[in-house]
Amino acid sequence: MATTPVSIAEWLGYATAPLWLQIVLAAVVSGVVVTVMLTTSALAGPWAKRKITAMFTDRIAINRNGPAGIFTIAADAVRLMSKELIIPDGADRPAFDIAPAVLPLSALLGFAVIPMGSGLQLADPEIGLVYVFAVSSIASVGMVVGGYASGNKYSLLGSMRSVAESIAYEIPLVITAASVVLLAGTLRLSDIVAAQQGTLVSLGPIAIPAWYGFLNPFALALFLVASLAEVGRNPFDIGEAPTEIVGGYITEYSSIYFVLFFLGEFLHIFLSAAVLTTLFLGGPAGPGPAWLGIVWFGVKIWAVFLFTQWCRAAVPRVRIDQMLEIGWKGLLVLSFANLVLTAIIVGVIA
Amino acid sequence: MSKTEEPAEDAEPEATEPVGAVDYDALEALLGDAVVRRESHLNAEAFVVRADRVQDALSTLKVEAGFDHLSNVSAQEYHDRFESIYHLKKYDDPTQEVSVVVPTPRDDPVSQSAEPVFRTADWHEREAYDLVGIDYDEHPDLRRILLPETWQGHPLGRDYNQDKPQIVEFEENVNPLADDHRESDTMLVNIGPHHPATHGVLHLETVLDGETVLDVEPDIGYLHRCEEQMAQSGTYRHQIMPYPDRWDYGSAGILNEWAYARVAEDLNDIEVPEYAQVVRTMSAELCRIAAHLLALGTFCLDIYGDFTAIFMYAMRDREVVQNILEELTGQRMMFNYLRLGGVVWDLPESREEFFEMVREFLAELPSRVDEYHDLITENELFQLRTVGTGVLDAETAKQYGVTGPVARASGIDYDLRRDDPYGYYEHLDWDVITDDGGDNYSRLLVRMREVEQSARIIQQCVDLLEEWPEDEREIQANVPRTLNPEPDAEVYRAVEGAKGELGIYIRSDGTDKPARFKIRSPCFSNLQALPEMARGEYVPDLVATLGSLDIILGEVDR
Repeated sequence: MATTPVSIAEWLGYATAPLWLQIVLAAVVSGVVVTVMLTTSALAGPWAKRKITAMFTDRIAINRNGPAGIFTIAADAVRLMSKELIIPDGADRPAFDIAPAVLPLSALLGFAVIPMGSGLQLADPEIGLVYVFAVSSIASVGMVVGGYASGNKYSLLGSMRSVAESIAYEIPLVITAASVVLLAGTLRLSDIVAAQQGTLVSLGPIAIPAWYGFLNPFALALFLVASLAEVGRNPFDIGEAPTEIVGGYITEYSSIYFVLFFLGEFLHIFLSAAVLTTLFLGGPAGPGPAWLGIVWFGVKIWAVFLFTQWCRAAVPRVRIDQMLEIGWKGLLVLSFANLVLTAIIVGVIA
Repeated sequence: MSKTEEPAEDAEPEATEPVGAVDYDALEALLGDAVVRRESHLNAEAFVVRADRVQDALSTLKVEAGFDHLSNVSAQEYHDRFESIYHLKKYDDPTQEVSVVVPTPRDDPVSQSAEPVFRTADWHEREAYDLVGIDYDEHPDLRRILLPETWQGHPLGRDYNQDKPQIVEFEENVNPLADDHRESDTMLVNIGPHHPATHGVLHLETVLDGETVLDVEPDIGYLHRCEEQMAQSGTYRHQIMPYPDRWDYGSAGILNEWAYARVAEDLNDIEVPEYAQVVRTMSAELCRIAAHLLALGTFCLDIYGDFTAIFMYAMRDREVVQNILEELTGQRMMFNYLRLGGVVWDLPESREEFFEMVREFLAELPSRVDEYHDLITENELFQLRTVGTGVLDAETAKQYGVTGPVARASGIDYDLRRDDPYGYYEHLDWDVITDDGGDNYSRLLVRMREVEQSARIIQQCVDLLEEWPEDEREIQANVPRTLNPEPDAEVYRAVEGAKGELGIYIRSDGTDKPARFKIRSPCFSNLQALPEMARGEYVPDLVATLGSLDIILGEVDR
């Protein structure tokens, strides 16, 4: 499957596009993708979060501006941008200023290799999966730097927690993803999606697709749990834990810096949802013509997002030591067991 | 209300009537030469003890006579002396009371501290020092507690100038363990006064080693509103009753009002009509349900994080109770419903609709409680967080004078509604809930079960009220317009508030206003035990433990 810039170049009549054209097209497409991602996910995300949480908790939530309060998104944007940017005296600059940009940046870099359906994919390197994990881990740097540079004890505690969490859950996450690689035999994300297009079993008229989530639901569950911890959502939202350490690493951030952190967090939820979709839910696959792919892809990542909000509304937060215990003693062991079992089964069958 | 003009026959003072089964002569013999003389308070006999023999006297009473509950320490200044009164009770039988009065001269108000005998005296004596100005010898840490460190003078003292404004300077908090490098470096974190989980304006000076709490020191007083002083400048009959609503403002208003009603009715010898007692009992238990639901919701807030499902569910159900209370009292929070000698008005018309409303709530409640159990207590993650954390054993709890659901969750079978009956409780069929866990989980469980018991009480009250003959619905006793209790009458009485034993000490000087009005706040004593429960735990458990104590800062600081 060709990436979007390459397809456009072919459509324009270039057999092999010159470098300048590739760069220009990549820039244009990524601009479009980023804008779409930002508006739909990061802006609609908080709105949806409010509405969804309200549904879980017997409330109505925002309903004054526009239908179902949808225009509150605009009001929120104006509000957040026009707030005073307060930088504490003890802040360590420029680290304090750089940190907020790291989070959304790493998430956006991750989206570059995700096949989003309808031919929308910016790049398709052979090591796509490794690349996604690599760039999304950069987010930890932003959290540490932000937490440390704030000069606030809550921030420090929060960033320490986040790093401990990232390290503890990154490994099970990658190991579980490796079991998918064993099944698909490739790290290229478009190939992983392509490998899931067959039919697993047919139950009369209903054909269950060969998504790895159906093939190995155990791995899906592991991946889902590890993802929750990676993005710091309940029961693993200890990095922010407002009732304990106020806001963790974002305690001292205000105005646009806060927006960047906020945006980054939402993008990370969507990125991890996108990776999960790609690895386990057949990517953009779904009934109907191929150009509907982006819609199915959107539906799937929003379903995962919905799941994170559900957890947030209903599951208690674990303690730092319990979180590490679950990560190192539970998930790590299970993910290795999953990997070994998958390897044996793949070896026997293939 | 309208038929209270004529004076009632409350003339005879109960001077030396022996209370309960306490043999005061034997106690006096036991205390020996520490006792100077004896006084009679309305609730119990009081031994006047020499200022340098306080510990002797208290430990004798505690160890040999079994008075293991230092309920309250009231301090006051007379024209010629200071006086500290230690109100002692037994956890096994709170009707057995004795008071220890310690007078000290005005020019040298030094009295021996009771802290080595009862840990709870620590804060109570600090408060007495802060507000009245008595010095306690051998006190481990005699600092101001409610007022800022740099405050000048003692506001409840006689020669304090209330009109003089004061400028308060604050200093940065220093880490008390900064030089302690036994394990590793420590860090002082100020949790509060502005913090999402302090349930009001509380400041916890917390020393951390990593995430582990080495030491925590609650710093209170941010919400001190001079409630005692205000009550002392109000008349018994009408002007004091609105204040109790503002102590524990977490919907427990009528329970607080009852504390004042009970003590003032005892002081003035007022009999409350039976019908009014039933109405009081019902409304008070409605308040208890509302207060416990709030406690449940906010505790879960601390464990879960954001405003989650369980918090909103608790609020939703509390809302129903508030609607009922609004129907009854006309108010949602500051009820001002009780009056000395009864209640302000009868149930709302039409009575059928009101009963229907209450019954509907009671019918819904079991399914709601089941839902809570599904969501909270049966959740493995929740159990992981709460079972075995913030443990308070019964002995420590007694040392700190802990009462209410917190004490009952530590296995202390102590509930004034049953043990020191008032209202209509003794005629009703209900149980005191206890649990032996002593941890955060037990405290939540005890509150949830108490909600069910309160519902039982309300159910029986509604049945009674429905059957009550129309011409016997007497809501108010005959109470004179102005109440002037006997001069120098002293009384300490407590009721079972939402958070525990809510007591009031009143000394009368013969006028229509109390000469001393001291509030024994259950939250105050319960909060004092927090360091014992939180040391060695992680920060999240400190927060959870604080939530499980269910403090209302309005009541802690008064």
